[in-house]
Amino acid sequence: MTVEDLACAVLDACEAEHVEHMLTGAFAHGLYGIPRSTKDVDVVVSINLGDAIAKVVSQLSGVVRFESQVQFDTLTWGKRLVGESHGVPPFKVELFELFDDPFVLSQFRRKRQLHSTLLQRETWLPTPEDVVVQKLRWGRNKDLDDARDVLAVQGPETLDMAYIEDWCGKHGTLPRLREALDGIPPLD
Amino acid sequence: MFRAGFILSSMESSTTDVAVAGLKAMQDSIYREKILRARRQTPEQRLADVFELTNSVFARMHDGAMWQAGTTDAEEGWQIVRKRLARLRKMHDAGRFVDEPPVRQS
Repeated sequence: MTVEDLACAVLDACEAEHVEHMLTGAFAHGLYGIPRSTKDVDVVVSINLGDAIAKVVSQLSGVVRFESQVQFDTLTWGKRLVGESHGVPPFKVELFELFDDPFVLSQFRRKRQLHSTLLQRETWLPTPEDVVVQKLRWGRNKDLDDARDVLAVQGPETLDMAYIEDWCGKHGTLPRLREALDGIPPLD
Repeated sequence: MFRAGFILSSMESSTTDVAVAGLKAMQDSIYREKILRARRQTPEQRLADVFELTNSVFARMHDGAMWQAGTTDAEEGWQIVRKRLARLRKMHDAGRFVDEPPVRQS
């Protein structure tokens, strides 16, 4: 199985259960920034149907084995469910449950539809601004590099910087934003 | 003697500064090329690169694990890759993900 096969399987499972979703992680970063490899397929899943995650997990049972233990992110206390693909390579799948964090809700509401010829389907992804805000909020070295990459490749002049600054102000991550912008070398 | 030592130390320091500046310039140049290459690509081309890089990195991890273990058994190689990935995940998740939600303070 390739990572794109697995991404398609996860998206198929969401669509089959009519669960609103959005691809995040390295796929979103790669779309807007500098492509890099990843170990997992990350998807944010809406819980409008109540048992949405359980339905998606059930749909994926032939492809992914999920851990029974749900985990909580210590930054926002959002829920995450982790699984591993059957067979090889052993890719990870991470399902993040949508919850009542104002930024997470805004990001999900603003998601964009993209027709991917590679995935041969319509898929949903966050906006580049939301990828930057999210990465700066997580704040690990890799996340900070990813945020800088998106700012550099898209160009701050093409992005809604007021939106980014507003959320960074709320999250206390304006110094990280400034550092990311300062880290972009002259491109002329 | 003290003066000579001071001068030598200053020279070493300035040599180090030049080396650091040179390294920074090289890093910026490599990063700049990466940015400009990504800008020339369409979003779909960048997404295709994510897929290609990911699939090839897994294949190389597998090759490396089999070589280190001195085995020709592909499944044994994947078991090693699984263990390594689990170790990496533990490291990356440490302090960031927990099994229990916080206890709400009243």
